[in-house]
Amino acid sequence: MSLITRRAVLLTSASALLMSAIPLRAWAQADRSAEANRFIAQFGDQLVGIVNADEPLARKRQQMQPLVEQALAVDEIGTFVLGRYWRIATPAQQQRFLRLFHAILVNTITEKLGDFRGVAFRLTQTTMRDGDYLVGTLISRPNQQPNNAQWVVSFQSGRPMIIDVLAEGTSLRLTQRSDYAAFISRNNNNVDALLDALERQAAA
Amino acid sequence: MGWVLPRVFLAATIFGLGACATKPAPNDQLALAEYNEANDPFEPTNRFFYRVNDGIDTYALRPVAVAYRAVVPGAVRRPIHNVLANMSSPVIFANDVIQTRPQRAGTTMMRFLINSTAGVGGLFDVATDLGYPSHDADFGETLALWGVGADPFLFLPVLGPSNPRDLSGFAGNVVLDPLTWASFGGSATLGYSRYVLTAVDTRERNIDLIDSIKKTALDPYATFRSLYRQNRAAEIEKVRADDKTTVPAWFSR
Repeated sequence: MSLITRRAVLLTSASALLMSAIPLRAWAQADRSAEANRFIAQFGDQLVGIVNADEPLARKRQQMQPLVEQALAVDEIGTFVLGRYWRIATPAQQQRFLRLFHAILVNTITEKLGDFRGVAFRLTQTTMRDGDYLVGTLISRPNQQPNNAQWVVSFQSGRPMIIDVLAEGTSLRLTQRSDYAAFISRNNNNVDALLDALERQAAA
Repeated sequence: MGWVLPRVFLAATIFGLGACATKPAPNDQLALAEYNEANDPFEPTNRFFYRVNDGIDTYALRPVAVAYRAVVPGAVRRPIHNVLANMSSPVIFANDVIQTRPQRAGTTMMRFLINSTAGVGGLFDVATDLGYPSHDADFGETLALWGVGADPFLFLPVLGPSNPRDLSGFAGNVVLDPLTWASFGGSATLGYSRYVLTAVDTRERNIDLIDSIKKTALDPYATFRSLYRQNRAAEIEKVRADDKTTVPAWFSR
C-alpha cells in the first residue's frame, strides 16, 4: 500500500470514528443521566427504609453509616471544603483533616436524618452542570412543607458518587467552605486551629 | 423602635466599627479570590451588628418563638401563618407584575381571590390544593432582574443579612404594600401587630434550622452570609427562568 492510500485510509477511519463518537457520546450521557437517577433513587430508598423503621436511633445511625460512606465522595468533598488551605496544609494536617471531616460529615448526616419520621421522596428533574448530574428530589414529611434537594452526582471515580447537595439552591459544600475559611482566617490562617475545633466537634 | 437604630449606628461609629476589612495583597491570588467571593468589605461593622442581632434573638425573639410553639397548637399557628401570607399577596402581585411575569401574577391573584373567600379571609390555603401554589416575590428580586448587583454584603440591625439592593427592595416592598397606606381609623395597631406576628411566625418556622446551623457552624456569621447570598441568587434565578406566559383558553380560540 502506498503512503498516500494508507494515509487516506487512516484519515477515513479516523473521521469515521469521530463521526460515530458524536452520537455515542450523546448516548453515553443519556445513559449516565439514567444511571445517576437510579443511583439516587436506590440510595434514597435505602435511607428512607432505615429512617422510617421503628428502631432506636443508635441502631438506625449504625445502619446508615456504611450506606452514607459508600455513596458520598467524602475525600473529594473534604478537599473542596478546605479550599485554598488544602495547599497550605502539610500532608499530616491534610490526613488529620480528612479523618475528622469524614467522622463529622457522616455523624451530622445520620444524626439529622435519624430524627425524621415518615419520610417520603420522589425524583423530580435531572440536569447537567459542569459534567456532573444534578438529580432533583422532593422530600416530604408529615405536617411539614416539602423540601427540594438536588444531589450532585459525579462519575469522576468511574462509579456514581455524591459530591454535593443543594438544599433550596444552597450548596452544602460551598457553605461549609465559607465557614471553615472564615474560621481559619480569623485564627491567623492557622490550619491547626481548625483541626482542634473539628476535634472538639467530633468528640461532642 | 425608630430611635434605637440611629443610636446603635452612632455607637458603632464611636467605637470605630465603621472600619473596613483589610484587602489581601494583590500577589496573594487565592486570598484575594476568597476576599472577593465573600464580598464583605464592611465585615467588622457587619460582625458587630451580627452580635447585636444575635443577642436580641437569643434573649427576645427566639424565646418568644419557642413559647409561641409551645403554647399555640399547630392547628392554630397554621391559619395564622395563612392569614399573614394572604395579607402579603397584594405586594407579591405588584412585584410579579413589574417583573413582567404574567403567569406568576395570575397565580398570586387567584390565590388571593380564592383564599380570601373560600379560604375564609385567608385562614385556609385552599388555593394550593386547587393548583395555585404559593411563591414569594419582593422588590429586591425585581431590582435584581433589572440588573442591580448584590454587592456588598450588609448585616443590618434587626433586619439581618442584606445588601444595598435588598435593603432598597425592602423599602420598595413597604411602599408597594397597599396595607402600608391603608388607614384603620387612624390606628397603627394592625400594622404593627402584623409586623410583630410575621417576625414571630417566621422565627418559629425556622427554630430548628437556625439552631442546627448555630450548633454545627464554627463561624455562624460566615455561614449565614454564605447561605443568604446563595439562597437569594437561587431565588432570583428561579424567577428569571420562570417567564412562562399563559394565554387564556378563550383567547387562543
